[in-house]
Amino acid sequence: MNWKMWSLKKSVWVFHVNTGACNNCDIEIVNLLTPKFDVERFGIKLVGSPRHADALLVTGAGTRQAAVRLQEVYRQTSKPCVVFCMGACACGMGIFEGAYHIAGPVDKIVKEVDPNAIIAYVPGCPPKPEAMISGVVKALAAI
Amino acid sequence: MNQEELDNRLEEVTGRLIGVERTQENRVYLLCESEDVYDVCRFLFSELKLRFVIATGVDAEHCFEVLHHFTDDECGCMVTVKAFVRDRENPELDSITPLIPGAEWIEREIHDILGIAFTHHPNLQRLILDDDWPEGVYPLRKEVQR
Repeated sequence: MNWKMWSLKKSVWVFHVNTGACNNCDIEIVNLLTPKFDVERFGIKLVGSPRHADALLVTGAGTRQAAVRLQEVYRQTSKPCVVFCMGACACGMGIFEGAYHIAGPVDKIVKEVDPNAIIAYVPGCPPKPEAMISGVVKALAAI
Repeated sequence: MNQEELDNRLEEVTGRLIGVERTQENRVYLLCESEDVYDVCRFLFSELKLRFVIATGVDAEHCFEVLHHFTDDECGCMVTVKAFVRDRENPELDSITPLIPGAEWIEREIHDILGIAFTHHPNLQRLILDDDWPEGVYPLRKEVQR
């Protein structure tokens, strides 16, 4: 393992991107970060800028308005980085599939920028915080 | 104002209407043509002091319907002004934003997705569609949905 990968897996700093979510996944992510689940004890920390982040927590189906913003955020994130698609909408557009305002899903939007992007999926509406922790653990074990 | 008093006051505006529907005791629809919508809304808002809740736009195939929902919070009655916009090529309706500033955004939203031009609206800019959405395409119209 090179030092970049080691430093990525040692302590994952995450940046949260909402691409048109209903806020339900976002509330579960807040739940993840606050004392009940407190993922900071695992070194997972929310940061305020994608330039400080190792991972993007993406919620929402990927609206046309948000798609270019998500791509710009992905470009600014320091590489290597992991993109976590949180929730049914981010994984596969959910109930918004085929709607006029959707450019997603999130993995397709990110792969337009970087075809080799590392993408992890946590389905659910919303996913439980336990499922999110499990998804992060599995993704970090896989890379 | 109780329900009976409200019903009596609503009688005053029936001359401007093409019909009144009542689905429940406290659910009244006032049907009007598009040119009367401002006056009917002004009567409900300024004279009867009803609260403006929200507006709804519907594509009813042969025409557009714009529903302005008002409520009297004392008796819990909801009064809806249903205006028919019959010109599908150039749908226009008087804006109620000069009267009720709270209606600005919902009228912008209806303009975005149904293409109804609200005349005398102070700021009929795009609100919810994305910046590179093509002009003149209104996503919730029936012909676009098909």
